[in-house]
Amino acid sequence: MATIARPTDEMPRPNIAKAGLQLPAVKDYEQVDREIMATLRPTKGWFAALTVAIVCLMIGGAAWTYQIHEGLGVAGYNPPVMWGVYIVTFVFWIGIGHAGTLISAILYLFRAGFRTTIYRCAEAMTVFAVMTAGLFPILHLGRPWKFFWLIPYPNWRLLWPQFKSPLVWDVFAISTYLTISTTFLFIGLIPDVATLRDAEKNPIKKQIFSVLSFGWRNSEAEWRHFARAYLFLAAFSTPLVLSVHSVVSFDFAMALVPGWHTTIFAPYFVAGAIFSGMGMVFTIIIPIRKFFKLQHYVTLNHLDAGAKLCLFTSMVVGCAYMVEFFIGWYGAVPVEQEYWWNRVFGQWWWAAWIMLTCNMILPLSLFSQSLRRNPTWLFILSLFINLGMWFERFVIIVPGLSHEYEPWQWSTYVPTFVDYSILIGSFGWFFMWFLLFIRQLPVIAISEVKEIVPPRLRRVHPYPPAPEGEFASDTPGAHA
Amino acid sequence: MIQGMLGAFRELDATVDAIEALKKDRIGEITVYTPTPRHELEHAVHPPVSPVRRFTLAGGLFGAIAGYWIAIWCSEYWPLVVGGKAISTWIPYTVFSFELMVLVGGLSTVAGMFICAGIPRLTMTVGYDGRFSHGEYGVWVQCAPEKLKDAEAILRRCGAVEVHGAQ
Repeated sequence: MATIARPTDEMPRPNIAKAGLQLPAVKDYEQVDREIMATLRPTKGWFAALTVAIVCLMIGGAAWTYQIHEGLGVAGYNPPVMWGVYIVTFVFWIGIGHAGTLISAILYLFRAGFRTTIYRCAEAMTVFAVMTAGLFPILHLGRPWKFFWLIPYPNWRLLWPQFKSPLVWDVFAISTYLTISTTFLFIGLIPDVATLRDAEKNPIKKQIFSVLSFGWRNSEAEWRHFARAYLFLAAFSTPLVLSVHSVVSFDFAMALVPGWHTTIFAPYFVAGAIFSGMGMVFTIIIPIRKFFKLQHYVTLNHLDAGAKLCLFTSMVVGCAYMVEFFIGWYGAVPVEQEYWWNRVFGQWWWAAWIMLTCNMILPLSLFSQSLRRNPTWLFILSLFINLGMWFERFVIIVPGLSHEYEPWQWSTYVPTFVDYSILIGSFGWFFMWFLLFIRQLPVIAISEVKEIVPPRLRRVHPYPPAPEGEFASDTPGAHA
Repeated sequence: MIQGMLGAFRELDATVDAIEALKKDRIGEITVYTPTPRHELEHAVHPPVSPVRRFTLAGGLFGAIAGYWIAIWCSEYWPLVVGGKAISTWIPYTVFSFELMVLVGGLSTVAGMFICAGIPRLTMTVGYDGRFSHGEYGVWVQCAPEKLKDAEAILRRCGAVEVHGAQ
């Protein structure tokens, strides 16, 4: 007698995302292959988006070329504010990457079912976000071609980096993060690429997919070793994601700048990173599910569960903001107190209030179930979260440097067109890679979706699937 | 020369039945192809635990030690002396140890998976069919020539939609 997978005892309810979540509109494996592979056909909209991304990238590239020629002086640095838009954007993009690893690794370990259909996009987002972030410390260098001096390699000068410097910790943390994230993404893709290989008719593409799939043939032994390796990679990625943004926060916390030298920074940065990453996940996944007609894969339950995570991290971040203010007041250090006042009511009030509004106030709307299940609102909110989280990093970095201990250290900072152009270029770089990815490789993990689709059985399944209409869809009848 | 019989199945429970019957009659060595991992198949095949974990442990330990070693060796080789402070300190160097543990441990896990699963594979092995990555299950039983007919009979009886021999 065959053993048959037993679904959860309690049938899933429409408004509660849970580990036993099923996809009622997805009937069989062939449908999964057909509908997810259909996303690989280019459309006019995709070409238009790619063109915009490349134009943005060219703007950034031109600005960087100009900066290399003219020197860092064109970038708006104004002593003592020598960390500006580039470091702000670096921390922003590193943070964006964190939700990808959270969804793909941490939620995998917790067996959270809602991750299945969104984790591939989130993983790709992580890789491209870290690739983007990695450019900024190089952009920030006066002589960017010397960036490799931070790597400990044998050299004729017999010089080695200062291993007690957080900047060297950063090099190790981020290069490890990029390598492991890319490996995690690529390993997860192998079975799906094998599926593409077997379906492909074009001999050249088939050959490319054959190479990329390493000759994967879906044997039970391969799956067994794959599952074990995937589990360990997830287990490694989980502390890694926590460590990377902690190390990034040490860039600031190890310094004596007012507002930076605080022990709360590591958890505060990690929570903020996951929050901002969830914002970017919504920014990406909501248009994808709409334009590729994948609403029955990324259901409202998935969005609802993601929105709850977003709300939770927003409240953690909000709590961290309040604790920072409290420490400023309770610590009774006049310089710190003046810094906090200056940040919220003084020179940088506008930036701080953008941050507080976007990161603390607007996400409270997610207490409403109807808004959590409203893709349009989630998309709009995600744009505010992206904006708010960029300004969070701005508010951390610039006000601290522009108002240090002595009056001669009080200054201001105004980004120039070079800063803005490179910022735009970073979005172009990120979205160019992402758009290329979604047209070459599946945006939803085919093999993992098949795991949650009931298998075809010869005998009648003792546990019938959920009745039609059990899960609400924002496009009724679109995939009947 | 490899000789065996391949059965293609549309249903999961039929595949499990075939595996159990083939194992019961000790027909030969069984390889199962499935578009997605299923516990039902794993229970039927009852394979040994994957040894990938050993690669992970070895890589992780090596990385952790290498992280401390690089930082300590470089610091001792080119001392940056700050009054009253040790040249090598384990607290900041734990960052390197941790990062290299994750890096080397992760990469050795992947290497372990490749070695254990026998990939990269340059040619498709006998018995594989492209249908097995889409919706069908495959059972390839490698056996002696005199057992081929028994294998075919079992596969057909259990509900294989297609059965053919290969060598």
